[in-house]
Amino acid sequence: MRDVIAAFILLNAVVLIVTYLTYVERKFAARMQSRIGPYRVGRPHGWLQPIADAIKLLIKEDIIPALADRPVYNLAPIVFLIPSLLIFATIPFAPGLGLADLNIGVLFFLAVSSLEIVGLFMGGWGSNNKYALLSAMRGVNQIISYEVPFVLTALIPVVLAGSLQLSAIVEAQRGLWFVAYPVIGQLAFVAFIIATIASENRVPFDILEAESELVAGFRVEYSGMKFALIQLAEYTHMFGVSCLGTLLFLGGWLGPGSAHPVVGAAWFLLKALFIFLLVTWVRWSFVRIRVDQILGLSWKVLLPATLILLMATGFWVAWRGGYVA
Amino acid sequence: MSRNGAGFWGETWQTARAVAGAMAITLKNLFRKPVTVHYPDVVRPYPDRLRGILALAYDPETGEEACIGCRLCEYVCPPQVIKVEMLKAEKRNYAKTFTLELYACEFCELCVQVCPTDAIIMLKTFDLATSDRREMLLDKDRLHALGQQFQPSWATGTKLRDMQAPPKPAKAEAKE
Amino acid sequence: MPDLEARRVIELGYGGNERLVMNMGPQHPSAHGVFRMILTLEGETIAAMDSVIGYLHRCHEKLGETLTYAQYPSIASKTDYVAAMTSELTYVMAAERIGKIEVPKRAQHLRVLVAELQRIASHCLWLGTWCLDMGGALGGGATVFLYCFRERELVLDLFEALTGARLLYGFHQVGGVRYDLPEGWAQRCRDTVALIDRRLDEYEDMLESNTPFLIRSQGVGVVSRELAQEVGIAGPLLRGSGVDFDIRRDDPYSSYGDFDFKIPVETAGDCYARYRVRMQEFRESIKIVRQVLDGLPEGPISSKPALKSVGQVRIPKGEAYARVEGPRGEVGCYLIADGGPKPYRMKWRGASFSNLAILPHIVPGHKVADVVAIMGSVDPVFGEVDR
Repeated sequence: MRDVIAAFILLNAVVLIVTYLTYVERKFAARMQSRIGPYRVGRPHGWLQPIADAIKLLIKEDIIPALADRPVYNLAPIVFLIPSLLIFATIPFAPGLGLADLNIGVLFFLAVSSLEIVGLFMGGWGSNNKYALLSAMRGVNQIISYEVPFVLTALIPVVLAGSLQLSAIVEAQRGLWFVAYPVIGQLAFVAFIIATIASENRVPFDILEAESELVAGFRVEYSGMKFALIQLAEYTHMFGVSCLGTLLFLGGWLGPGSAHPVVGAAWFLLKALFIFLLVTWVRWSFVRIRVDQILGLSWKVLLPATLILLMATGFWVAWRGGYVA
Repeated sequence: MSRNGAGFWGETWQTARAVAGAMAITLKNLFRKPVTVHYPDVVRPYPDRLRGILALAYDPETGEEACIGCRLCEYVCPPQVIKVEMLKAEKRNYAKTFTLELYACEFCELCVQVCPTDAIIMLKTFDLATSDRREMLLDKDRLHALGQQFQPSWATGTKLRDMQAPPKPAKAEAKE
Repeated sequence: MPDLEARRVIELGYGGNERLVMNMGPQHPSAHGVFRMILTLEGETIAAMDSVIGYLHRCHEKLGETLTYAQYPSIASKTDYVAAMTSELTYVMAAERIGKIEVPKRAQHLRVLVAELQRIASHCLWLGTWCLDMGGALGGGATVFLYCFRERELVLDLFEALTGARLLYGFHQVGGVRYDLPEGWAQRCRDTVALIDRRLDEYEDMLESNTPFLIRSQGVGVVSRELAQEVGIAGPLLRGSGVDFDIRRDDPYSSYGDFDFKIPVETAGDCYARYRVRMQEFRESIKIVRQVLDGLPEGPISSKPALKSVGQVRIPKGEAYARVEGPRGEVGCYLIADGGPKPYRMKWRGASFSNLAILPHIVPGHKVADVVAIMGSVDPVFGEVDR
């Protein structure tokens, strides 16, 4: 019973945070472009904008294309959303403040977050639209290619800490955050960020939704609440991977005064926001690259690089004679 | 992707530097003041010559309507939005009706240019948005009212013709 | 060698037989206007391309016959609405050529001034929309787009102080120009141009060594020198392929001969080369603007009496073709005058219309994502294409 209540609270908290993350992104992006961003809805700085957007999407008409494959079309947003929400179950926000701190936390996270691809392809196929299908094919290509370096970079802190349990990985960073480890830490973090951006379909790797070519990609035939679910799923996944990055590289909840769970959770959210803003900053600075170039980058550059990094980490741990714990 | 023939490491370093450079510029812009003007709470200063909505003016000396119904503006208008009917009187002519279809107007200022009595002018505002297009079919009363309501632009027929005419020895005043 | 058939659909012989015919446009965020491309795809690669235009046809050439020489320059700006000054200039130059009308020196210099400012504004728009297409409406492309529009707005503010309008000016008339410089405009212009010069350094920093940008634009859409000359393109497209031809230098009009400027030429012929040509053209235009402002002669701004009635300007019988180096290429106007206040016939040579002819030759073989990069670097404006 207690777990059910905890899960309910967690779910609502996550959805609320993610909704306001869209607002933070819009404001941040606007300032980078010499403009203001949402302003009028909820003066003076448009802080009611996400609520307004949510209400708008709720009252929109739900248009289903006549020739769409109905079961697949209707289920796709749900299949896309559920893995994004499920990954939050294993994330410990502060010592003792995680829903299910599994001892295979990292494995569960990576496995479940890969299920999103199924939802993506269902959306593209069920829409009965050439643009959507084209984008879904590109998306599957891209996400699968980038899952491999993503997993390998996520394994580097696992090898350093000697455990798949996320709270154990954070505890292992008490001395020094993994990102601060000479060369291995920084390179692993950079590779993690690149793999994150690519598996999140964010610019510069957002070829699958390329607004100026395919106009929203696999989401093009969705409207109203289904579209809202897909957007929610994307941003939730992005936030979830930021949280993972915080736990793996930036020391999770560690910081001055982090013994207290609320302070620890605050540090955690701050660091997750930092990674989110970093990804956003990259997003608004680069044009996208073509799909064959994306795949080339993944297989020819990122995969060998992460393999070498992982081996180097393994050698270092072996030479050191034990895990960092 | 190989520029200058630099090796793998050289290219990686160049890429990293370029990435950092691009991100530095966006970061710099993050701290610049935004260029947004909060219209309609804040109105930006319009230049003197703004070609805004049209209006009919009164003669500044006599206070009468300046328009003599000569129809020159009607003939010069490229989309033919002006329709005038002349009313003949003893001392001078008037315009019996004067309609201007503002929704089709090009704002080219040719009517202002040809008007011999500086009757038709443009105003320093364009804010006449409405949800009913018929409100933008301006008749004579409406045009006169608009002329009183808003500030006129710099351009009148005489001033424009003086600006364009080659200076004759008799013309003492300079352009503008 | 491309075969010269009417439809110019070039089929490349790929082994695969899974071909998808996809329609891009006419309503499309990156079609640069209303333009329909029918792409035959094999996977992601384009096997053939066919294009459909005419969605923006507004009968300009017929309007040219019904409107007089006094009325039409205001309408001429609507062909290439992004570079309105050069469109108007072409028409009035053609009329002046037939009537052998002298244009005063000050008016000629003012024409050069606004033409070069217009080139700066138009290239700002080109850069912004090209990066927008390549980067997406919600990505780094949008950032460059907003920066470029911020700069373009400054030039448009200058035009607003000069003529009263921001986009479609009606600045030129047969015999000269309609407006003279207001007080303080020259200094404001200098400040604006200096600011744009500094901001250009920022854009170049942001894009020049930007790897995603480079790999999207280098080697993409290569136009060989022979193809460029054979198809009849002009402007930065031509100069990006190594052909050193610019009407401002080779067929000077409106006192361009009095100014000192270089013509940038690149030989690679890909999108990156055209980008470099246009970025250098920015700098050259700024140079010309500064030279004009320094040496602006006093004098009348029109050699014809001021416009008092619609049929005032009459051009004697004759015909002439006037061409102008617009930001997109060669804008040309062919007029046949018959002695009355209206032309007998007017024909526009739209720069973008001729430039679009290169697309079926260079697009096949590329991926779908490259189509937008190529379209952006060709920089069509459909007011010119469809008239």
